[in-house]
Amino acid sequence: MRRAARTLACLAVSAVTILSFGCRREDYSRPLAFIIVPSQDNPFFKAEADAAASRAQALGYRVRVEAHDDDAYRQDNLIDSAIAQNAAILLLDNAGADSSISAVRRATKAGVPVFLIDRAIEADGIARAQIIADNAQGAAGVAKIFVQSMNGEGEYAELLGRESDTNAQIRTRGFHSILDQEPKLKMVAAQSANWSQSEAFQKTETILQSHPHLKGIIAGNDTMALGAAAAANGAGRKDLMIVGFDGSPDAVAAIQRGELKGTALQPAVLIARLAVDEADRYLRTGSTGKLERQIIPCDLVDASNAGEFRNFEYIPSAANVVATH
Amino acid sequence: MAATQILTQRDRLASSSARVALLLLRGRALIVLVLLVLAFSALTPLFFTANNLAILSKHVALSAILAIGMTFTILTEGIDLSVGSVAGLSGIVAGYVITNGHRGTVAAIFAAIAVALVVGLLNGFLIVRAGVAPFIATLGTLYMARGAALLSSSGRTFPNLASKSKAFAVIGQGSLLHVPIPVCLMLLLYAVAAFIASRTPLGRHIYAVGGNERAARLAGIEVSRVKVITYLASAFCAALVGIIIASQLDAAHPATGESFELNAIAAVVLGGTSLSGGRGSITGSLLGAFVIGVLADGLVMLGISEFWQIAIKGAVIVAAVAIDQFQVRLQARLLPFLLRSNPEAGA
Repeated sequence: MRRAARTLACLAVSAVTILSFGCRREDYSRPLAFIIVPSQDNPFFKAEADAAASRAQALGYRVRVEAHDDDAYRQDNLIDSAIAQNAAILLLDNAGADSSISAVRRATKAGVPVFLIDRAIEADGIARAQIIADNAQGAAGVAKIFVQSMNGEGEYAELLGRESDTNAQIRTRGFHSILDQEPKLKMVAAQSANWSQSEAFQKTETILQSHPHLKGIIAGNDTMALGAAAAANGAGRKDLMIVGFDGSPDAVAAIQRGELKGTALQPAVLIARLAVDEADRYLRTGSTGKLERQIIPCDLVDASNAGEFRNFEYIPSAANVVATH
Repeated sequence: MAATQILTQRDRLASSSARVALLLLRGRALIVLVLLVLAFSALTPLFFTANNLAILSKHVALSAILAIGMTFTILTEGIDLSVGSVAGLSGIVAGYVITNGHRGTVAAIFAAIAVALVVGLLNGFLIVRAGVAPFIATLGTLYMARGAALLSSSGRTFPNLASKSKAFAVIGQGSLLHVPIPVCLMLLLYAVAAFIASRTPLGRHIYAVGGNERAARLAGIEVSRVKVITYLASAFCAALVGIIIASQLDAAHPATGESFELNAIAAVVLGGTSLSGGRGSITGSLLGAFVIGVLADGLVMLGISEFWQIAIKGAVIVAAVAIDQFQVRLQARLLPFLLRSNPEAGA
């Protein structure tokens, strides 16, 4: 009994300590900007959340960032919590084009204007804005870089994202809108690596075994492309042409080292800032001043311009020069 | 009494065919493995090549190493769900030490293993002292370890580890006499684990605790100590896997190892270890891991879609457990025959 009590006391003390470290004092007089993203362990969503948070803070908002882990139910609870806390604006990178509609409607009805970033929903007139990256255009652009580095011929493999994910489907369609027009390009393998680096590593090793003449790999995101590059490196196949998608800092660095040939930057940082600005304008004037659906083109990254990308943000060299002087 | 000793012709027949059936059932993992290898070799000529078998073994090594610790915990009627997260956390610790600590490979490995052992100790403490069920305790540490990995890396990857510490790449990418280092590690660990399980008092105690905990306690076995050791062993294996992956990818990613625990559990179950503890073997888990690995890589080589791969893997696991239950029932029903035809068997 005594021992159990001591254990409980220890646990309670450590829990309080952790919580007091985790919480920051907030100024409750400022309006609340509630930001929900799919996850915070993915650098892409983290950059997106960070960009939105810092812009909102600069505009005088109190900020809360949460992650729904692509779970529509968890997203529902988070949106309830945003309503309960009287959020002034809700920025949402949602958990599913169909499954998010009712939650967005609930928030809107409760007087919390919703601004969707990165992913759209299958309904109009509920959210104040839906600002998304043009995945199809980005994928087609990456495919063009891929065709160029392959010289338009040879065997290639495709690593797909989680096959139930909308973006995985849009990207593979975008890839094939270009690749399938090349008669000398032959896809010899298509495997899902579930967006994961270690899975892409193993699948690439295995694909290289069954297709020793493989010349290139086109991957649905940068994480998988980097896994494929590690496998190619280990197999002594540094000549393999590999492209990805997302424009992550790791991928940009790999492009500069020549391990990847290209990627498409989803302008996550730009979109997040745009959404906060529009939300702020909406609160002040009652209108965002823009159409609800806004599609922002992806920026293509290859060896020629890789130096101009910083943490999911494209800073063209002219601006770089201005910034440094 | 004397009457039961007399064997009729029918009894003899039944007992010998029963023994054949039991032998087949016990060796099922090996039989399935051989069949799978034969099938894939027939379907694609590139499967049964030295190069591909080396790569396949390297892929198997990850879940096989996790399966060692998992076998020990399951033998004590426990389970360790935290291994995937611990692998991820260890990789991050190694990446952190190399990138931010500017320390070499050896320090990174020691730090990774130390952190993993802390989680293992916490598992043991929660189960033995706080009395939390293993499933719940390790589910909790699964999330805690994943959270710690994300917190310590702020969600980022530690890239280009080899450029900061040359030797680090050797663990996952190097090879010894054409055998990849991860495979060497796997074989070494299995040799040690099999020795411990079958030839040492600790091994016998592990089986005893899982077979009947009360009886083990009454027999003077320190049940708590045995259990804590199994969770430490499991965490140690997880740390090695985390280090190997970080070395292979040349990068430490905080999400590494997600759902690895399921592959390890599947390997253990396929290898014939009972989830209710006390029955099973280390070498069985190695065979189980190979069955899963051969299946996964073979299907990729044939170009079969991910959806089929998942479904087939599930079917194999379910079939394995069903056969396991069949074996238990058959054994129970045939016990009288076996005892009669071979009196020593009952001794």
